[in-house]
Amino acid sequence: MQLARRIVVRLFGGAIMVLVVAIFTFFLVRLMPGNPVAAEYNTLIMRGMTPVQAADEVRVMYGYIPHEPLIDQYFHYLWQLLHFNLGQSISYEGVSVLHIVLSDAPWTIVLVLLGLITSFILGVTAGVIAAVKRSSGIGNVLTVSGSLLHGIPQFVVALLLAFLFTTLWPIFPFGAPYNASLTAGFNLPFIGSVAYHAILPVSAYAISSYGGWMLTMKSSVISVLGDDFVLAAELRGVKPRIRFGYIARNAILPLFTVFALSLGFMFGGSLFIENIFDYNGLGNLLVTSISNRDYPLMSGAFLFITIAVILSNIVADFLYSVVDPRIRRST
Amino acid sequence: MIAEQLPQTPLVRPHRQSFLHIAWRVISARPSRILGLVIIVFFALMAIVGPLLYPHNLPINPNAIYAPPSLRYPLGTDFEGTSNLALIVTGARYVLFAALMAALFTVFFGTTIGLVSGYFLGPADTILMRITDFILTIPGFPLLVVLSTVWNFGQPIAMGFVLGITGWGGLARAVRSQTLSLRERGFIEAARGLGLPWWQIVFWEILPNMGPYIAMNLLVSITGGIYAEVGLFYLGVVPFHVNNWGVMLNLAVFTGGAMQSPQALPYLLSPLVCILLLTLGVVLFLDAMDEMFNPRLREG
Repeated sequence: MQLARRIVVRLFGGAIMVLVVAIFTFFLVRLMPGNPVAAEYNTLIMRGMTPVQAADEVRVMYGYIPHEPLIDQYFHYLWQLLHFNLGQSISYEGVSVLHIVLSDAPWTIVLVLLGLITSFILGVTAGVIAAVKRSSGIGNVLTVSGSLLHGIPQFVVALLLAFLFTTLWPIFPFGAPYNASLTAGFNLPFIGSVAYHAILPVSAYAISSYGGWMLTMKSSVISVLGDDFVLAAELRGVKPRIRFGYIARNAILPLFTVFALSLGFMFGGSLFIENIFDYNGLGNLLVTSISNRDYPLMSGAFLFITIAVILSNIVADFLYSVVDPRIRRST
Repeated sequence: MIAEQLPQTPLVRPHRQSFLHIAWRVISARPSRILGLVIIVFFALMAIVGPLLYPHNLPINPNAIYAPPSLRYPLGTDFEGTSNLALIVTGARYVLFAALMAALFTVFFGTTIGLVSGYFLGPADTILMRITDFILTIPGFPLLVVLSTVWNFGQPIAMGFVLGITGWGGLARAVRSQTLSLRERGFIEAARGLGLPWWQIVFWEILPNMGPYIAMNLLVSITGGIYAEVGLFYLGVVPFHVNNWGVMLNLAVFTGGAMQSPQALPYLLSPLVCILLLTLGVVLFLDAMDEMFNPRLREG
């Protein structure tokens, strides 16, 4: 019950955040040099449309008309947004932004989450080993690998992977979420093709965030190792494997607070990774919409990336309260 | 009085070493740290004097387009036959200067907001932390990309400012939590009892205790700034005003076809290797900084 209330509060906060981002993109497009909305209106007039037709056309695209007062424009825009109408794309003529964004969003979310889970499992395992064996060779190698990988920017990882495995040794395919000749659906070749195409991008996400998890887990385990309960367990003669479980369960808690930061980082990385592997997703959509000066699509893609981050944050918060009994009971 | 009674006792001078002395001892303790320092100094020098070594308009050579590395072109050439080495050296200034600015702005905003929030608590804290949460949640890099449509990134200082504005969240949180524990300590209580104004307590009493942490953050922010700006230029969403490493990456991949043909590879690899080398330098040097500022880690 209290957990439900907590989630409702978080959802409400998230909704406000989304609203603020929507306000931001609205004014951003308005502030742009040359005012793209008015420019669009003028182009349509030049093409021989009557002012009424042109105004209608622009309202379909952006959700508001350029020459009404700013405050009216803003409320029109919000009204459209509340009806999940993000306007129409300019570069894909006549297609609604929502349609494009919704068809690309699942790919980004699945890839980011897969990368996140992979790097979390690998990083946490390596972190525990590095902490327990910190004075041995293995520990040192793991720590150095973590610091270096943590330092390498995502686009470098993605570029190197793309170059090594699609050009130098063409083992993996380049671009597109799946082989276009296959029919989409729950059949084996299709799922196999999706997985095959996803391996490189997911590895890029995983490699670029592995170091962070590993280093955080290592320092967390080291601080837990000094706790009294570990000594007590050792004195009671608890088997090392079970003691290991005690340590890991306590050391993993601080990692959930890093989640908020890493989610933004991962979804931000989709801009590079999807662009480099030419994969259809929100990140690539955002980049191409800016090159095409397709501002309704840009606002939509950015809004959806933000929504994805906020929702995943709420899920992470929920998981944290499941994992940590103290939070579960106190709130 | 005691000194008069025991005149023969020699004066014990406090054995204090200068910071530079300690720093050098810590750095020279491990060869990896010296390597880190050398790499950082090398790139800093490249950024400062590099552009002076080459003419403003780099010479092009139509006979040596995408030439492989040779004595004349140590890192090969680009699509116009310009030496990649010259491009790297002249491009370093924008990249490193903007990254330094980004780090300074990040540290400035993060520290100030964290200190004020942690010291005053109450409504100021609530509002500032809400803003901080907001900044932390909004994915920073997509935000930069969207901002690039209205903001002119031509000057390094403009780039640094935006990177700072979007990147201070984490530092503000950390500074706030350290302030929360420091403000309960005795010397702050004493300062408050003395009736010192708040700004003096916050900036002269509390802040110096976090100096080391902030200094390390500055170094980390510099690398973060480099990645973000090079990434922006790489994606090509920012108009190219000047040559820099990100522009090189963009041109190598999208116009040079470096991913498909190996001839443009030196053009792609030179900025990549520079970024990796600088990262390595910072990682190696951070290890020394940790020990420099933390006496407990320092070996006898």
